Amino acid sequence: MKQMILVLGIAVSVVACSKDDNSGTSAVVETITVRDVPADTIIGITPGAPPTGGFPYGAGRYTFYSLETNKIVPASDSASNKWDLAFKGTTIATNSGNSGPGGAGAFVFVGLFNDLKTIPADSSFRIDNAPSAFAITTGSNRGWYVYDGINQLVTPIPGRVLVVRTASGKYAKVEILNYYKGGTTPATTASDAIKLTTQRYYTFRYSFQPNGTKTF
Amino acid sequence: MKKWILLSTVSSFLFSTLFGQQQDTLLGNGAITVFTATKTERVLSNIAVPVQIISQKNIQQAGSLRLSDILSEQTGLFMTNGFGTGVSMQGLNPDYTLILIDGEPLIGRTSGVLDLKRITVGNIKQIEIVRGPSSSLYGSEAMAGVINIITDKSRKNTLGISARYGTYNTADLSLKGSIRTNKINYQGFGNFYRTDGFSIRPNSRERSVAPIERFTQQHNLGYRLSERTNLSLNFRHNSETIKNNITVINNGNSINSIGVEKNEDLNVTLQLAHKLNEQVKNTTRLYGTQFHSSQELTSDNGVPYLDVFKQQFARIENQTDIHLNKQLEFNIGGGYIHETANSTRYDNSTSIKTNRIGYVYLQSEWKALNKLTFVGGARYDHNELFAAAFSPKLAAQYKLNKNISLKASIGRGFKAPDFRQLYLNFTNTAAGSYSVFGSVEAQKIINELNRIGQISSLEPSFYQLSNLQPEFSTGFNLGASYQNEQWLITANIFRNNIENLIDSRLVAYKTGGAQIFSYLNVKNAFTQGIETDIKYQYNQKWGLSAGYQFLLTGDQAEINAINEGKVFTRDQNGFSRKMSQSEYVGLPNRSKHMANIKLQYDHQQFFANARALYRSRWATTDTDGNGIFNTNDAFAKGYIQLNMAAGKSFTNGVAVQAGIDNLLNYTDVLNLPNLPGRTFYLSVSYNFLNKNPK
Repeated sequence: MKQMILVLGIAVSVVACSKDDNSGTSAVVETITVRDVPADTIIGITPGAPPTGGFPYGAGRYTFYSLETNKIVPASDSASNKWDLAFKGTTIATNSGNSGPGGAGAFVFVGLFNDLKTIPADSSFRIDNAPSAFAITTGSNRGWYVYDGINQLVTPIPGRVLVVRTASGKYAKVEILNYYKGGTTPATTASDAIKLTTQRYYTFRYSFQPNGTKTF
Repeated sequence: MKKWILLSTVSSFLFSTLFGQQQDTLLGNGAITVFTATKTERVLSNIAVPVQIISQKNIQQAGSLRLSDILSEQTGLFMTNGFGTGVSMQGLNPDYTLILIDGEPLIGRTSGVLDLKRITVGNIKQIEIVRGPSSSLYGSEAMAGVINIITDKSRKNTLGISARYGTYNTADLSLKGSIRTNKINYQGFGNFYRTDGFSIRPNSRERSVAPIERFTQQHNLGYRLSERTNLSLNFRHNSETIKNNITVINNGNSINSIGVEKNEDLNVTLQLAHKLNEQVKNTTRLYGTQFHSSQELTSDNGVPYLDVFKQQFARIENQTDIHLNKQLEFNIGGGYIHETANSTRYDNSTSIKTNRIGYVYLQSEWKALNKLTFVGGARYDHNELFAAAFSPKLAAQYKLNKNISLKASIGRGFKAPDFRQLYLNFTNTAAGSYSVFGSVEAQKIINELNRIGQISSLEPSFYQLSNLQPEFSTGFNLGASYQNEQWLITANIFRNNIENLIDSRLVAYKTGGAQIFSYLNVKNAFTQGIETDIKYQYNQKWGLSAGYQFLLTGDQAEINAINEGKVFTRDQNGFSRKMSQSEYVGLPNRSKHMANIKLQYDHQQFFANARALYRSRWATTDTDGNGIFNTNDAFAKGYIQLNMAAGKSFTNGVAVQAGIDNLLNYTDVLNLPNLPGRTFYLSVSYNFLNKNPK
């Protein structure tokens, strides 16, 4: 079902999706869960010992994603309006500011995904000013995740919703569920090798409102 | 006629007369005197605050070697791992329990932890544990309580030797002797301890307890100047060498490092006690102590690393005890402390940091009625480096009848910011190049880095950096005890409100993304619970004791956030949901339930005991990412540890003892790295004098 094809460091993947119809709520839009979106997965470790070496690294490439079409967008289309979010490690870029030509924007909402039924009118969408200020704040315990330096694990903070204006000016809400392959964070006791090779795979769920309103 | 078992354990010897006051743990209670609770000699049953005594006999029969061994078997105390073995009392961190030897504080804490393994129990007469804030007498650090180690002061000439050998080539050798004349008395004690250490992690060169060698010597010289004047000089020296092989596997290549850690303690006390008359006694104490620690790390490749820390503490204190009449007693004291530290982890290792503290204290004991006693006191500490601290305390005891006694106390405790929190200047190049700066340094350094363009962002916490304040606690203790010929039952309810807790916070990012941390007074916390102990002497031979502590901890700000629906966790689908109050577990590393039970047989120079310790599960890691410990996080499993010992002493001065610790072979590599599996030991001792165990 889940197949990963890595071509020249550009991840093009067939992403498995599941759709649930949000039964029990009055939502008019569907919620889609996207699994295992690779985000510049680790391809090696810099030679040498710390502090200069010994650090894992990827190919340095973003994976571009379209919430509108629910698909990974090839990197060759990075200078287009075809993508909304781009993932590289823990950094999530939006198609806005100096990240892309689109009219996207985003902010992090504190609360529950299902409780965010309408984006408040006075919300202010931020745009990217890479590398210092992304619309979705980077860094541990500042945006969507917390990094446990002792166990070297990244955990999405519960109760954080990425409120996204897409490249074409429509609205979506995204909840990052997991950062590891298969949607399961390794145990704190897992080996470094497991933590390294399974990280940088996003599992998230989202709702996209195609009619341009701010209501889900 | 009472027959006493002369036994020697571990690192010490037991001489018959030493236990003259403790002929029966239950019946003799009235005779045991305690110093720590009131800074004056008091009969245990007359003390208004929760006090626990561990006798020399208990220490020896448990087969303890280091202070942490015996404390880990006491109700409500548990040993913490990391930066040595510390003790947590009433649910507070090891930072907040003051450790004294013969009334004088031990220094040399690492990250707030005083390593209790530095202290041998071979020459301890009794350990006094006072629970609840005691800063009204002792000043800083006495927030959770005070543990005072009273060393042996023999009443006759003695000379003894003891040796013990056990698993992991753990050996302990002690020599102890004393001389008494009309005017002069001398006690000497020497101890050597070594162990290979062990690794409970398979196929690892690194040992969770590294090979250690320790030498301790203590000398006490007393001179009776007159009927009313005594002079004493106490000297203690402890040195330890810890060797460790560390292997870091990096991209398939293993890098071996050899670490050598050396710690040295030196303590000297000169005391002059003078009885002016039957009502007034004056004591002057001069105390100096030094702690020196060095860690050297040499790797296969790379430059050697040296870490040095040196701390010195000098104090002069004078106390006057005035026994006004049968109802009223006053203790008035004051002192001056000069404390210095220097370290390679400060701005430069030759820069000596200094703090000076002047203090006064007053305590009054008022026997209001025959059955009712009040003790009130307060202490004022004036610090050069940070705000002054005022620590009052009030306690009352009501003796309902000869069996039942009620106690209540309320007190305030504080802990001064330590040198690390003020002056640390440390960058860890091995792990992400993060930096930690003490509060005095942080603003200065970050502003300078900012000026030269090396700071990418300042966090909100940066703007909150200010002079650190002492941490404060208010402790409430309410207890009752019942005692008769066979039973002793005590229960104590406690609550500690802790304010101004100092914690490290991210204050800035460097341009490369490296994090900078500093210390701020940011948190509040509480601990509350109940401690109970039951002792039952079935007959002359058999006895049973049991203890239990129920503990709840938390942070009121966290509880409020949960109640306001601002805290989230995840459901089984990984979707966020609100966390409920019932899922909250409070502070990590705390067990809600801790219990111990001990069965003891003691008859005709033979004893045997079995001791079981239980600790329920405790939270270890915040795995759901919400920053609050709850039932969805990672826990260490609850466990039972079973220890057994037996010993026999003979009329020719020889005593033997054997024991098994951790009989059930319980281990937890991750959460209890210092707990070896099952271990065995055998010890032999010989008394050159006073061979007959009475």
